[in-house]
Amino acid sequence: MSRGPLLGGLAVLDDVGPPRRGRAYPAAGVGWALLTPAVLLLGGLLAWPVLRTVHASVTTEGRWVGVEHYRAALAAPGTVAVIGRTLLWALLVPTVVTLLGYLLAAASRRSQEGWLVRLILVVPTALPLVVTGMTFRLLYDPDPERGLATRLLTWATGRNPEQLPQLLGPDLVTVAVMSAFVWAWVGLAMLVFRAALDAVPTGLADAVRAFGGSRRDVLWDAQWRPLLLRTVAVVFALVAVGTSRTFDLILVMTPGSVRDEAAVLSLRIWQTSGATTTGEGAALGVVWLVAVTAGMLVVALFVRQAWPPRSSRRQRRDRAATRTDWSGLLAAGAAIAWLLPLGVLVATSSPEPGTGGHRRGGPARRGWTPTGRCSAVPSCGAASASLVLGHVVTAAVLGRAAAAYPLAWLTGPAAQVTGLVLMAAVVVPVQVIAGPLNEVLGLALSSGTARGVALVHIALGVPFAVLVLRNAFADLPADQVRGARIGGRHWWGTLRRLARHNRTALVAVAVLEFVQVWNDLVVGLLFSGPDAAPLGLFLAAQTRGFVAGSGPLAAGCVLASILPVLVFVLARRQVVAGLVAGGVR
Amino acid sequence: MTGLGLRRRTLLGAAAAATAAATGGCGRGRRSVQVAVVWAGGELARFREVVAGYPATVQVVGVGNDIDAFLTARRAAGTSPDVAILPRPGLVVEYARRGWLGEVSPAASYAAPAGMGDLLSVDGRRYGVWVKAAHKSLCWHFPSMLAEPPRSWDALVTLTRQLGQRHRAGAGPAPLAIGAADGWVLTDWFENVLAAVAGVDQYEALARGEADWRGRPVAYALDRLAELWSVAGAFPGGGRRALLTQFEESIIQVVHHREAVMVFEADFVDAVVARFRRGDEPLATFRFPGARVADQPLIVGGDAAVAFAGSDGGAELVRWLSDAVAFLPWLDAGGYLSPNLAVPVDSYRDPLRRRLAGELRAADAVQFDLSDQLPGTFTGTDGVGIWRIMQDFFMDVTDGVPARKAVSRATGQLAEAARVAGGGR
Repeated sequence: MSRGPLLGGLAVLDDVGPPRRGRAYPAAGVGWALLTPAVLLLGGLLAWPVLRTVHASVTTEGRWVGVEHYRAALAAPGTVAVIGRTLLWALLVPTVVTLLGYLLAAASRRSQEGWLVRLILVVPTALPLVVTGMTFRLLYDPDPERGLATRLLTWATGRNPEQLPQLLGPDLVTVAVMSAFVWAWVGLAMLVFRAALDAVPTGLADAVRAFGGSRRDVLWDAQWRPLLLRTVAVVFALVAVGTSRTFDLILVMTPGSVRDEAAVLSLRIWQTSGATTTGEGAALGVVWLVAVTAGMLVVALFVRQAWPPRSSRRQRRDRAATRTDWSGLLAAGAAIAWLLPLGVLVATSSPEPGTGGHRRGGPARRGWTPTGRCSAVPSCGAASASLVLGHVVTAAVLGRAAAAYPLAWLTGPAAQVTGLVLMAAVVVPVQVIAGPLNEVLGLALSSGTARGVALVHIALGVPFAVLVLRNAFADLPADQVRGARIGGRHWWGTLRRLARHNRTALVAVAVLEFVQVWNDLVVGLLFSGPDAAPLGLFLAAQTRGFVAGSGPLAAGCVLASILPVLVFVLARRQVVAGLVAGGVR
Repeated sequence: MTGLGLRRRTLLGAAAAATAAATGGCGRGRRSVQVAVVWAGGELARFREVVAGYPATVQVVGVGNDIDAFLTARRAAGTSPDVAILPRPGLVVEYARRGWLGEVSPAASYAAPAGMGDLLSVDGRRYGVWVKAAHKSLCWHFPSMLAEPPRSWDALVTLTRQLGQRHRAGAGPAPLAIGAADGWVLTDWFENVLAAVAGVDQYEALARGEADWRGRPVAYALDRLAELWSVAGAFPGGGRRALLTQFEESIIQVVHHREAVMVFEADFVDAVVARFRRGDEPLATFRFPGARVADQPLIVGGDAAVAFAGSDGGAELVRWLSDAVAFLPWLDAGGYLSPNLAVPVDSYRDPLRRRLAGELRAADAVQFDLSDQLPGTFTGTDGVGIWRIMQDFFMDVTDGVPARKAVSRATGQLAEAARVAGGGR
């Protein structure tokens, strides 16, 4: 291997050297041709809407009003609480997820049944957040016949459910939603930490020990300083950006009467302006956009370092013997705790009332009578809509490899600027630009159609895909690049050969895009009509009759989850590798 | 989002999707007319059947719950549809004031109940016609659990106290089920009580944004609600539990679990009843009790068709929709009520609808759902506007906050919300 552990794209280019460029580089014209679709999509469906939102936040029907909307939005009752809650989400939840993720990664590495624990923890990661929300809403239901948590509380305290604190009541609803989020995200954090721990050269720890270092020294010098600091930053950033997607969870989990007690900025923006972005909604949106982008850029500066080469992963698993009691207990406890909600979901969806089933029978189980089955018909329609969307979008985003290719050959400030722009584009919350986006779609007569939804998905997926693939192209070892250039007669031949070396990144992008589109709620909510309603939206719409249809609803949730879980579990290694190697540099 | 549109869409979404043989009624014709509707599922299929009878091709676009966002975006892009079916009259007025709509004239036979027609007019010009209605002043119960329904508000309160006491002693079901997790259920309660205690003028003045929400009628109506809702043992599981109970669950509490005796809501309750009733006993209804035995409030909701300015075939289609013949597919499906008095009462299949259609005709003036007429965010959705305010009020009065304090807090919030929502215009 011709590159050291901390080589970046720069070194690859230097290695190739100026004389060979003519042959190897896509010609300027070709480069632009490859870039044009991505630039058009990003410009039309991201950049222009962002500008329109900024414009809408300082005008009323085209008239300049300065900061009036900002003042009004901040002065509106509850806004301060909403901002505070958003901050709490962005700080507290990533901290908890990072900590738990590390502990579980360490624990599951040491115990024999670690693989099982990891598998159990990874499943929630791939579930649609709609399904997660539904599961926890069932778990926390105030009726002890349905809500397992309420039943356990009644049993443990011996009190009447009327006297218990309500888990979905105004006081605890935020905690309840956060617990669902942590449940969903710890798996991903654990995978990333595990990859990091595996990548730490074992020789380093031995060296520290040889110099008389204590356990703490090993942790500090052999793990934290070389790798974990960066991993923590990566995980923290990922989760913090992820908390902006709590929108789905809050929408599904909270009954209308406590929604305000759980609201965060994304929800408030949607409540204030729906899918039209005007005035105060736009002002709040701009505030949020600036905060998210700034946070992301700060983290990006922190973690701009390459991941150690994949080869170092070979040396692992030689310490499985150092099994300790606490880690086994922790892993087992986590596995049980993480299985519980899944069990509730499956039990509710099953036709036979299990131990935790519905003794009252009737409504909860009607899903399997002819009356209830009718809900399966639209759900099939929605599922196929999601499937089609998923395929279209995945294919389109993979096509972005073409755009990533010329970008990978940029160097110096140009490369950094593209990286930062793409990074900022990745975190643009779609609620903020919903109104202008709808206008653009309206121009193309695609608002409310499947075509429109697909366009939005593609545009939202582009920055991430291009970012990951660009970094992957730039990371290719010099000998592979050289080989491809000599072998490929034309630029597209070179591209094809290079793509073959980049299979991990391509798989990661494809899987993540597919899962994201399949699991989507918010894009469907903002941009689709009933003719093009994706699965998430269909399921979320059913929550209005939550009690009446909890049986078929849970069954629908289980069905909706099978595919993304399967895809994600099978491809988890590539996903993590792609995420860590490309996504966050 | 209006409660009316939403709840009917959700209700019928599941039940009627079985009949989802909706094969979009649009073929290739000369000049097709585009209609944007809020309906989905069975209602959408029904509407496609309706427009299949129209001479020109009609392209129906179901745009989901947020039709306002869809139309605003299309307007900005200059691609407005020809016709839209709007779920609340507040939107019709808003659009008409912005000059987005064209004037329409209904068919000769079209006649809306007094009090509904004016809602779609601005400055003496008519901008829409009603195509569908809901009767929102009904209470539902099993005759075996309640032999003699209360005929006045005071009788209802007395009955609730009696049953509540029995319920607390563990000797019977709670008197009332209420889906307080859905804000529109509470606003419907409020509107019925308000219509009973305030005159038509005052009710309409509030709807137009001309009356003060801190005024006497609102406070009086809230006071009455507080009187009923604060009764100990009124709801199964208590007030906090009721705030987590959704509309459908509240009906299930009555018709399936028999945990409560009565539930109040609109005529579309029977779709839920049909799915979840246990036993063969038919559910009976009585009108929402008024202040006196003689005057019972009658609140209605409805969907209106409008034509956009500059559209060729829009006004023509709207006119066609206002004809009684256009309602036939709805009648065949059953479970729908027409706002058009030209639709003969006898043509309704089910006895309940026949009776309700008769009531629409008998009433001197119906009053339209107040929250659906309010401007901007005041109109309410989950956690927003009047929905939220009524839920806060419900929480206060069931939580032991003195009625006077709860009422003054609620009227203050209502007045503030009205000010903010009306401020833009």
